[in-house]
Amino acid sequence: MPDSADLPLDERDQEILARLAAVHALADPPPADLDERVTFAIALDAVDAEVARLSEQLAVGSGARGTERTRTITFDADSRTVMITVVDRPDGLVRIDGWLAPAAALQVELRLPEPAPPRRVTADPAGRFAFDGVAHGLGQLLVQPPQGSASPRVVTPAFAI
Amino acid sequence: MTVVTLGSGQAGTGHAGTDRAARVGACLERARNGETAALGDVVRELNPLLWHVARAEGLTAEESADVVQTTWLELVRRLHEIRSPRALTAWLVTATRREAWRVREMSRRPAPAGAAQLAEVPDPGPGPGEQLLADERDRVLWRHFQRLPERCRTLLRIVAHVSRPDYSAVAEALGMPVGSIGPTRGRCLAKLREMLLADPGWST
Repeated sequence: MPDSADLPLDERDQEILARLAAVHALADPPPADLDERVTFAIALDAVDAEVARLSEQLAVGSGARGTERTRTITFDADSRTVMITVVDRPDGLVRIDGWLAPAAALQVELRLPEPAPPRRVTADPAGRFAFDGVAHGLGQLLVQPPQGSASPRVVTPAFAI
Repeated sequence: MTVVTLGSGQAGTGHAGTDRAARVGACLERARNGETAALGDVVRELNPLLWHVARAEGLTAEESADVVQTTWLELVRRLHEIRSPRALTAWLVTATRREAWRVREMSRRPAPAGAAQLAEVPDPGPGPGEQLLADERDRVLWRHFQRLPERCRTLLRIVAHVSRPDYSAVAEALGMPVGSIGPTRGRCLAKLREMLLADPGWST
């Protein structure tokens, strides 16, 4: 008698696997917004952008009244590091302060889900930049290369603002 | 219940496999021409698989979500290297594991023993608890699933999320022995099936 493990999959196996998938969808589901985050993040017009990976995410405390939250997020790419702090404002909006390292006065774009237009600022020579009055939701940063440089843009993953 | 046609496990088997390959192939072609939004359906289809691949590497839920997203962003840069739907799934699974290893190294957590072999990695899933499962057969299934060795649980939770035409490509990407994921049943599924068929709660 052949070993049952060597037989091809049949309908019963398919049913077992389908139910296993369904049970695991309950046991350990992906975050509800994972599809949304991915589709937002890849809807870029810059297909050659260098990906900056999330390397650290810290909650650095809350405001005195407990209404403000501050997070720092660090993204690392080969060519540059992008570090941001996201501060909740009392009015429900958010301020994002960022640094580029190595420092350079580069254009930084904050991509937001449509229909919100992207926001663009230029970092100062010390690499600092800021976006104020940003609504909660998803965001993604794009850093333009220095003018005349052949290096690609740097893009972060989408993150929750 | 859908009647499935079993085949070589290579490219599409039966109409469903062929249709899917054609559909995914068309999405890839549009994405290569700059229309990355065309990947939306493929993202929704493959995210559960990639999620379980990352979780099986021992990452937290948050880390796994980041890894899956980074993997898709890297894919966009490398679309020109992906020549077929089958290659797409294999590329994504391989890249997800590589990203997961990187995250684990960065957090200075010791790699699970034999990290190169997925079968050795503990299953991090907490389980739904039987009371959450409304269907009696799901409860029976979950009970027997928990009795399997850890490496089988890890393997099967991934296999369960693989589309049939992708079996061999995913097995290859995971470095699993031939036959551990279709077209043959493999020992882990054979064991689970045997326990289920012996349980009146499943068979009736």
